[in-house]
Amino acid sequence: MLLNYNQLGRLKYVLLGITGVICLFLLLPVIFIILLSFGSSQWMIFPPPGWTLRWYVELFADPRWFEAAFTSFKLGLMVTVLSVILGFFASYALIRGRFAGRGFLRALFMTPMVMPVVVVAVALYAMFLRVGLSGTWLGFVIAHTILAFPFAVIAISNSLERFDKAIEDAAILCGASHLEAIWRITLPSIRLGLLSAALFSFLASWDEVVVAIFMASPTLQTLPVRIWGALRQDLTPVIAAASSLLVILTLVLMTIAASLQKVLNR
Amino acid sequence: MALSLDRNFRLALPALAFLLLFFIVPVLALLLRSVMEPEWGFQNYAELFATNTYARVMFNTFMVAGLVTLISLLLGYPVAWLLAIMPRGLANIVFSIILLSMWTNLLARTYAWMVLLQRTGIINKALLSLGIISSPLPLINNLIGVTIGMVYIMLPFIILPLHATMRAIDPVILQASALCGAGKWQAFTRVLLPLSMTGAIAGALMVFVMSLGYFVTPALLGGTSNMMLAEMIAQLVQSLLNWGLGGAAAFVLLSVTMLLYAFQVRFFSGYADIR
Repeated sequence: MLLNYNQLGRLKYVLLGITGVICLFLLLPVIFIILLSFGSSQWMIFPPPGWTLRWYVELFADPRWFEAAFTSFKLGLMVTVLSVILGFFASYALIRGRFAGRGFLRALFMTPMVMPVVVVAVALYAMFLRVGLSGTWLGFVIAHTILAFPFAVIAISNSLERFDKAIEDAAILCGASHLEAIWRITLPSIRLGLLSAALFSFLASWDEVVVAIFMASPTLQTLPVRIWGALRQDLTPVIAAASSLLVILTLVLMTIAASLQKVLNR
Repeated sequence: MALSLDRNFRLALPALAFLLLFFIVPVLALLLRSVMEPEWGFQNYAELFATNTYARVMFNTFMVAGLVTLISLLLGYPVAWLLAIMPRGLANIVFSIILLSMWTNLLARTYAWMVLLQRTGIINKALLSLGIISSPLPLINNLIGVTIGMVYIMLPFIILPLHATMRAIDPVILQASALCGAGKWQAFTRVLLPLSMTGAIAGALMVFVMSLGYFVTPALLGGTSNMMLAEMIAQLVQSLLNWGLGGAAAFVLLSVTMLLYAFQVRFFSGYADIR
């Protein structure tokens, strides 16, 4: 009865009420940012005295915002490539390998995800200061790949686990070399896993703030670093405009992920 | 066969070398600095725990993390419960809302809370016009703001694993408890709650661990006088260039995190694998 929706009685309405309030709580900031970005008040008075596109105009007029977004995008792509390649070989070793210490290796590969990001950020910052990688593209790519890598391993090893190794063996029996079998049989079969590994790696870099704050230099700033800087100065509605565009991007990515899920379940 | 074993392990070597060089070594180096700078010894740790300012930061961090965990659990439990039994269409709507909030850029969400919670923000305005308060509440630049912002971020991380646990419970067990004469309250406290406990603890542990090391939200909503551990570490090394003390604080955060994580993996693995 407690686990039957129709037999809950009055309790059903209590739970529905709570869930409704929580849903509003979860939606409030997201909707609020979008409304705010069109409000005409510089001081973000709400409800706004009028509606305007001014903040979007300002956003697009300032080349620094666009540069930051472009930097984030380029960085995300580089991180994605590196993380998916490393992640594929690592997952292949984890799933196909029969060596001792596999469990340990897997746990090691997951640690960047569970470690407090600030510790990773500070540690890499210290190292990069010494070896001259601080504030460079290379340093940035390395740092974000460390954070993205576990996501790639999870996505790829999950799909490798589902893929039947016998098919790969059959290709080898038919005369393919091991590499050829991986290239022509295994990789195409797990392409959805690779795709979601790429998506998650990209997002891990695109949305990342803490490490980015430490890796950035005045000439090399990602979008989150730029927003962070603006937030610490003042709460201009231009940030609301930038944030709203990010919300739209989220919606697009969610739709893509949902349709990917559908393909996977078919 | 021996050869192929070997070859599979070799495939992991690039990733292993990469992590060793750019992850393990830098973290260990940072921790080493905590006992090496300015000189060998544990004076950094002594300073960390003996100085009032630092001790208060650590106290604040654990208190806020605990509070956030507790509130998220209380708010998330009914949602997870309902989600597990709701008609599918309705549940999908709730899921989309949870995912949308979870996937929206962290800074964007925190920015929204900064505006919502300020003295002239709509929360204060609404409360004022409803006559609940007579002067604006200070909701930002203090630990109240941090707690609200963090609960907002952590709720999905409680709801999703807890929902998975609830779904796995066989409804027949609850029917059986009703047949045996249990009332609703009894069925809840003696059957549903104990059965969902593993998921609740697993989710709570994860949220607690994540909250301990959180940087962005506390830094933006807490203001300068209410620092939490992660921000303190950043400040120690970036503004004060005190690598020894920063390393020590990092070690404290790291060891607590890893210990709790190991505990979670050991006892609750598989209940909170959603990250």
